[in-house]
Amino acid sequence: MNSALRRLLGLLLLAGSLGFGGNVAEAHPHVWITATSEVIYAPDGSMTGVRHAWTFDDMFATYALQGLQTKTKGVYSREELGPLAQTNVESLKEYNFFTFAKADGKKAKFQEPVDYYLEYSDGRLTLHFTLMLKTPVKPRELVLDVFDPEFFIDFTFADKDPVRLVGAPAACQMNFQRPNDGTANAQKLGEQNFLSGDNSNFGAMFANKIRVECP
Amino acid sequence: MSVRPQSHLDFARGLAVCVAVVLAVLMLDGAAHLLMAQTPFGGPRPSGAEQPAGGFVGWLLARQSEVYRQMSSTILAAKSDGSAVWTLLSISFAYGIFHAAGPGHGKAVISSYLVANRETAWRGIVLSFASALMQSLVAVVMVGICAWLLNATAKTMCGAERVIEIASYALIAAFGVRLVWTKGGGFLRALRPPRLVPAMAVAAQHHDHGHDHDHDHHDHSHAHASVAHDHGHDHGPHDHDHGHVHDEHCGHSHGPDPSELAGPGGWRRGLSAIFAVGIRPCSGAILVLVFALLQGLFWAGVLATFVMGLGTAITVATIAVVAVSARGLAQRLSGASDGGGALFMRGVEFAAAALVLLFGVGLLLGYVAAERPTCF
Repeated sequence: MNSALRRLLGLLLLAGSLGFGGNVAEAHPHVWITATSEVIYAPDGSMTGVRHAWTFDDMFATYALQGLQTKTKGVYSREELGPLAQTNVESLKEYNFFTFAKADGKKAKFQEPVDYYLEYSDGRLTLHFTLMLKTPVKPRELVLDVFDPEFFIDFTFADKDPVRLVGAPAACQMNFQRPNDGTANAQKLGEQNFLSGDNSNFGAMFANKIRVECP
Repeated sequence: MSVRPQSHLDFARGLAVCVAVVLAVLMLDGAAHLLMAQTPFGGPRPSGAEQPAGGFVGWLLARQSEVYRQMSSTILAAKSDGSAVWTLLSISFAYGIFHAAGPGHGKAVISSYLVANRETAWRGIVLSFASALMQSLVAVVMVGICAWLLNATAKTMCGAERVIEIASYALIAAFGVRLVWTKGGGFLRALRPPRLVPAMAVAAQHHDHGHDHDHDHHDHSHAHASVAHDHGHDHGPHDHDHGHVHDEHCGHSHGPDPSELAGPGGWRRGLSAIFAVGIRPCSGAILVLVFALLQGLFWAGVLATFVMGLGTAITVATIAVVAVSARGLAQRLSGASDGGGALFMRGVEFAAAALVLLFGVGLLLGYVAAERPTCF
């Protein structure tokens, strides 16, 4: 009886964990973005916004371009891509543009994106857009996280010049941190969430962290 | 998000046509499933599953990403080298298995349904394969119609995806309501004074018995299991049918194993489960299909999608068998059908039914996270 009971518990645990574990493993990326970002500063030394350039993986790019009518097949001008760029930024709003800013630990909010456009070259589709802060900040420590909390999109910053500071005071120090290498950490967190049932901020471990310190 | 209020007429029309055609095809598909479902199934019950593995989730995550990322390059390779299609198919199969092994509403709904409705492991396997097949069909039909025939934009497709998604969640919720209604009745009956239970049980079995001859042969084993009851009926008007069914289809597993008793409602209710779960295509499959289509290799994408579905089905079926085994074991432990044990099992069934409803409502309201459609 005891062993049967133990078997039942095992089965329940297995069934429960596989069937009802929430969104942990459901969340695996379907879209890959290679990003570069610029942190923009005003002449007075306050941080005013971020400019992103996100290049999509070929599968998503193909999907996004599907059905678009162009003058020349396979060539997409910036104008022809205009409506798609519009859709992109509007959609991104729902996800807070996957960009989360904190000035000295306090959340800083962005305005609607400006200067947005899509660029298609060498078979690569890149979305450019600029997020201006609602109110410029001048913190000692600025932290910018770029990631998808649900991990549907994988953000990887470019190998070369992933993040640049534009017009920042000379004393400011930038430190860019990539997400800890996926597997080991994902494993640990996966188990943890799994048992605690909390995976609300599951994607956080995939966050790219930009930290700027200005004394 | 991408469905804007000020959307153009073209977009609305394209979306409407897309959704209408997809739904029409789904209806046909549903009808085909209904016909197929008349086929009797039976056989030995597969044994329960293994112990849970450690580090499972993280490992799955890593494998999934890896495998999925290889797909686009493999499709590109297949353009010049036909043998790469085999690589694509094996990748798709692996992806299907890994993708489904992660928690997701499809498995959850199917497993809960199986537990709630006292289904057999075999039926669980059939349901798993049917819903995965339907999911693949929906993805292929959707991309085939929207992207290939209508040359719709990603925005339109995403709109169609969203409409289907909401339909799927609403169906799951409706299905849950129905299960809760039925199972709630059983639970309430079990809550009544014990001496009433046998009488009610006989009444219920009598109903099932009549049901058997109309629909399928699994329910038959239900009646067969309660020996005393059957004896009474052997002399009744159903005698002939009974013997007939017995000879033809019940050569296997005569033991009154509770987990082999198929629940009332039969295939028709199972079909609702398949439909509710399978109607929603997987975002990954849609991306692969569109990519393959634009590389001029739509057929390879279609093959990949179905192989992906096969992989998914294997995993979901495994989970379904685990769920059914757990239920069977719980039933045996709780002391089968008498008194408190019966009450406990009716309670378990009711809880499982409630879980289906909760999932449906949770998905609809966004409390339960599911894979998002590729809209952006």
